Amino acid sequence: MKLTGPLERVLRVFLADPSARRYGYDLMKAARLPSGTLYPMLARLHDQGLVTSEWEPPPADTNGRPPRKYYQLTGEGIRVARLELAQAASDAPRTAPGTARPAPGSAS
Amino acid sequence: MTALPRTQRLADHMIRRACRRLPGEAGDERYREWAAELPAILSDPDVGSGIGARMRRSARALGYAAGVSRCARRLGRAGGQPRPAASLQAQPGFPVRRVVVGVLIDVAVVALFIALSTAFRPPRPWLLIPVLPAAAGFAAFCLADLARARQVRYLPKWGWAIACLIQIPLGGIMYLAAGKVPAARPEPPAQP
Repeated sequence: MKLTGPLERVLRVFLADPSARRYGYDLMKAARLPSGTLYPMLARLHDQGLVTSEWEPPPADTNGRPPRKYYQLTGEGIRVARLELAQAASDAPRTAPGTARPAPGSAS
Repeated sequence: MTALPRTQRLADHMIRRACRRLPGEAGDERYREWAAELPAILSDPDVGSGIGARMRRSARALGYAAGVSRCARRLGRAGGQPRPAASLQAQPGFPVRRVVVGVLIDVAVVALFIALSTAFRPPRPWLLIPVLPAAAGFAAFCLADLARARQVRYLPKWGWAIACLIQIPLGGIMYLAAGKVPAARPEPPAQP
């Protein structure tokens, strides 16, 4: 799995509360991703068994709203996501904000 | 409850069309999933309130629909049936039919343009004699080139075709400058 920026953001959102079920628009807002990026990524994660999806049971109190599809990390997904994020953090310590390069003019 | 029924219908329609590209069951499920998000977008409390909020919600919903359409195209390509080979391969021979249709559309557009411009200005019909064939010829050349191209950059082929037609000659120039993939150069001779 190649950890791209958008993927990293999605995994962080999922890991913020691994037990929460998130629907698509919710994830889009939380990860600040457009739908054209998010859904292919979810489909990929789903194919890899890292994310499960389930339909909201049609309850009586949604006042006419159609049932939504919810996504959640699987146990394996939580494990892989934590691993990947930890690895990304240790691989790229120099890209932390403010330390990437000296401020302009500071070298003189 | 949704404040913007017309936007919702339009976005819903876009999503439905896109999901037709997916094989039966999957398309139906995707449609239900994506359409179910529209009410949440159109009544999103985080957007704010006031006159701008309606516009922002509409834009967001349509952007959402466009995004999932892109997603459906990708999933459709990945999941089985490949794109028709004809669109990927260069057209053998000269695409006569496309050129004829292109020229017809072209002439219609130019005629419309001239009709509009002469409606506001003293007509100068002699100007048509060189300009009309030149414009039609240039657009036909661009369309023929586009039709024979194996692939183009930045826009889909139909996008370039529209650009070539509605902005004569600017669209064609842009296509030739930016959209055209340069022909593969022959291998450079081996270094001695």
